[in-house]
Amino acid sequence: MPYKKKLTRRLNGYALDPGFSTRLDTMGVNEIVYEIKWENVKNGPVGEYFEVIDYDPASNCYYDPVNLNDIEILAQNGLPASESNPKFHQQFVYTIAMKTLEHFERSLGRRIIWSPRIIIKKGQSPEEPEKGFDTEYVARLRLYPHAFRQANAFYDPNRKAVLFGYFEAGSKIQGSNLPGGVIFTCLSPDIVSHELTHALLDSIHPRFIENTNRDVPAFHEAFADIVALLQRFTLTSLLENQIAKTSGSLSKFSFLGELATQFGNAMEEGRGGALRGAIGAIGNDGIWKKFDPDPNLYQTVNEPHKRGSILVSTIFDGFVRLYDVKTADLLRIATNGTGVLQPGAIHPDLVKRLAAEAAEIAEHLLHVCIRALDYCPPVDIDFGDYLRALITADVDSNPRDDRGYRVALIEAFRSWGIFPNRVNTLSEESLVWSNPDHLTPNERLFLKQISVELKKWVSDMVDLTMDETCNRKDIYDQSVKVQKQLYALLIDVANGATKIKMTKRQIHHFMQKLGLTNQPIAMLYDGKEVHSNTVPMLEVSNIRPVYRTGREGKLVEQVLVTLTQTFRVRKGDLTGARFRGGCTIILNMGKGYEIDFIIYKNILSQHRFEATIDYQTGKSQGTTALTDSMYSQGSGFAPVDFAQLHAINP
Amino acid sequence: MPSPITVNIKMYQVGELGDCFLLSFREGDKESNVLIDCGSFRNSANSKTRLNTVVTKIKSQLKSGRLDIVVGTHQHNDHLSGYEHAKDQFKDSIDKVWLSWLDDPNDPLANQIAADHKNLVSQLAAVNSALTALKPGKELDPVRDILGFYGLDGTGPGVPERGLANLKQFSKSKVDYLTPGDIKSLPGISPDSVKVYVFGPPKDQKLLFDKDPANGQSYDQALRLAGMDAARFLSTISNHTGKADPTEDQFPFPKRYKRSEAQSDKEIVNRYRSSEFAWKRIDNNWMEQANQLALYLDSYTNNSSLVLAFELVNSGKVLLFVGDAQIGNWLSWEQLEFNAGGKCVKAFDLLARTVLYKVGHHASHNATLVQGLEAMKHEELVAMIPVDKTDPNITKPNGWKMPAENLYKRIKEKTKYRVLRMDDGFADECDPSKAGYKGKWADLPSKPKINKNDLNIEYTVFG
Repeated sequence: MPYKKKLTRRLNGYALDPGFSTRLDTMGVNEIVYEIKWENVKNGPVGEYFEVIDYDPASNCYYDPVNLNDIEILAQNGLPASESNPKFHQQFVYTIAMKTLEHFERSLGRRIIWSPRIIIKKGQSPEEPEKGFDTEYVARLRLYPHAFRQANAFYDPNRKAVLFGYFEAGSKIQGSNLPGGVIFTCLSPDIVSHELTHALLDSIHPRFIENTNRDVPAFHEAFADIVALLQRFTLTSLLENQIAKTSGSLSKFSFLGELATQFGNAMEEGRGGALRGAIGAIGNDGIWKKFDPDPNLYQTVNEPHKRGSILVSTIFDGFVRLYDVKTADLLRIATNGTGVLQPGAIHPDLVKRLAAEAAEIAEHLLHVCIRALDYCPPVDIDFGDYLRALITADVDSNPRDDRGYRVALIEAFRSWGIFPNRVNTLSEESLVWSNPDHLTPNERLFLKQISVELKKWVSDMVDLTMDETCNRKDIYDQSVKVQKQLYALLIDVANGATKIKMTKRQIHHFMQKLGLTNQPIAMLYDGKEVHSNTVPMLEVSNIRPVYRTGREGKLVEQVLVTLTQTFRVRKGDLTGARFRGGCTIILNMGKGYEIDFIIYKNILSQHRFEATIDYQTGKSQGTTALTDSMYSQGSGFAPVDFAQLHAINP
Repeated sequence: MPSPITVNIKMYQVGELGDCFLLSFREGDKESNVLIDCGSFRNSANSKTRLNTVVTKIKSQLKSGRLDIVVGTHQHNDHLSGYEHAKDQFKDSIDKVWLSWLDDPNDPLANQIAADHKNLVSQLAAVNSALTALKPGKELDPVRDILGFYGLDGTGPGVPERGLANLKQFSKSKVDYLTPGDIKSLPGISPDSVKVYVFGPPKDQKLLFDKDPANGQSYDQALRLAGMDAARFLSTISNHTGKADPTEDQFPFPKRYKRSEAQSDKEIVNRYRSSEFAWKRIDNNWMEQANQLALYLDSYTNNSSLVLAFELVNSGKVLLFVGDAQIGNWLSWEQLEFNAGGKCVKAFDLLARTVLYKVGHHASHNATLVQGLEAMKHEELVAMIPVDKTDPNITKPNGWKMPAENLYKRIKEKTKYRVLRMDDGFADECDPSKAGYKGKWADLPSKPKINKNDLNIEYTVFG
């Protein structure tokens, strides 16, 4: 009888940072076995999505690559966790990268395609896309476990690579670090998943690295932390350990809530404790406390990490609320109906049940958080938009919400003072992006025509997506083809060259509902008019079929289309400024390609234009100059630089 | 009734990036001359000649031939080199020198900081020469640029260090080492007419050492750790120069794990070296650390600037000279209060009354705190920027952004387009004789003068 095909690969690794293996209270739970999707890997490991290259340029050497197919290694769940064996480092980076990827692919219901490489040839310029540029498919994200000797790790969007640093721990004893010992950022599961999330987010929303308002750099950071944090809460054995220790309360001190503890401990100038203790802090009395929601922070805090941690705290807050509601019955059962636990340890069975609940909530929440990305506008994100995306994403795949996820999230956002623009109440109905019910009959016909065409083109992509064995490059190529076809069609629409006759004015109104324009742009800034002489070029940046199942088992089949335009200022005081608008259109394959949502940012919004320029030129409160050197203008026109954002000064 | 007081300010054109300001306070027939900094970025023959010419011109302005006060704000070449290159001219003409508490040889903390500072400078110089031997590309420009500030022209102490030593020696009366909170008066001028408030460098070590004070660093670690990092980095470089430092044998992994390219897995090496993916390589990324260390050193030194506010008591007008103070220094002023004869004066109140702002660090974006600039609300505000657009540090590709666009724009707005530059005299849009002039010089009692032959830009404040 033939054996069943292998589904997962089991690999040893750290649940927390390596330092926790040498602490009595955590040593038993820090080393766990991860299960990741099985794939054929070459030495490195080099698989379908990732290539680990262990070249250490500072030490001027290579380390031999691990062979995960080696019989000894296969038979023992990979190499044992070890700080001193570079092959384990390679294995571990690969493990966490795969795990993070898996969460994204499951949540998004499609295969991840890395953001393509943009090639600018001679005579072309990134600022003049109308002169043309090439894009190139990127098969693998490169992972360098030992890229340099600094307390830093970052995703490099130009190299399509994640660079991990290593460094000597400070000479003072802090936490459980060996003074003068080596800290490897690639051994912290939080850092690896945080950096991987930057890469994944960039593949979904390449424009989210543009520093257009104070929430944008914060969002990238926050989202990466949220994924790292919730991913940690899906590890049941860790949860059991922590829940036993805190008698079931997630609000009490818990290592789980602190990201990258070892990294933080090693930073001598830090106060000790985790790199970004996002959800709580040790007070003057030396006792850890979860942060109380403070609705003022969102108005006053600007530094990207601090601002980001407001969002992280909000999501964690939602998590704790859900956990409390969902475990109340368990606590009552365990306490003869009182719900009040006796002091001291709690029963191991109860610990198991509580941990299982927490892990389930964490996983659902993680998936909602990731799925919400598909419901974000393609440019200029703010936290309020993200809340609306979260709610819409959840309504879309779990319409009943009998488990209270949305209520918990709305409550958390309210108590942290994050409110979307132009939403009257914080109810589910007003938060969900509206269905496009304001379209005229002619506009509907237009969209219908687009859908009919799109359906033909996308069907090939759908077949590819459904085929587990297909090459992702085929999906990419097909997607590029469809993008071109759709572009041609939309240009016809904009020129009135289709069968359905509309006046230029009507077309203008239609484009407006997509956040776009068919006319040159004129804005006012500082009392002066700022022009684009031409109609901004239309970009069809993404077309992706998705298939996903919600926690209620509802299957969602959609096609996402992203359309954007860019107003580039080429004259006057604001030369170099860019202002983008556009939309994400979500079409329902199950309902004949009807449009479910149009989520847009208007390119003609005078208000948003002013706010963006004010922010980027440092006029409004909270402009973040991301570099602090005389080499920079200190303005916000430059994209977010992850190397700078993460760097910790010597 | 005291006689009305005037201050004549001359910004000298040192021909490249650099600061040199002569302030002549006059009250009736009494006069007091204060020189704030005298330096330029390079130590070439040209730079030396130019500075000597400038100093000659300065001395020709002095009735007595002597300077009442000479100030050295911080240890960078572009602020102190003149005190070395033109030392013969300074030798017997200085009555008194003002320096910051950080230069006080009797302050143990200052000594410790100075030693760590010196150590970091020399470590970085060693890093620079070792790395230069590796012939990297443009990656190391910042290190080279920044070391330029320390005027290390040989093996001995750098030019600014020597300039500082000269000042201490030339001061006829005892050197005053100033601390934030101090109030000084000017020799020859009634102490009731002009008060000099010392703003910085902060004694608060967090603000002194940290360009981003939110990190919560404290002194013991910052500078010294940077020095340790630099030493560690020297050992890193040794991996590339043929003779690796013995500590490298075990770092970060034991030697037995390390493979040269030739010994290593062929497939991995080919993947890394493949020309198709050359854009993914990271060969020189590790060198970036040197730049970070250099930038840190630079920020620290700038932050150690002596900052002085001259108050003309009768009118309440203030002249603010910030050296190259960076954010930490500015932030410390928020809490700073002075006891002026029993009266409490807040540093930010003095900012609000500022009528002349000497823009810090040639108007780079990181040396003027936004809240600080916004606090300057006086109707008569004028700004002087010691910047030279022909300086190679500015003209080269990806060079220094001086003045930084947004800051420059805001300074012009705040001053009603009354901005003077060392190179052009009037900043663009601020020149009454040119098209596009938006300025409001006419609202002021005096107009600036550009004295081409005397190599200065002159402006007078009436107090």
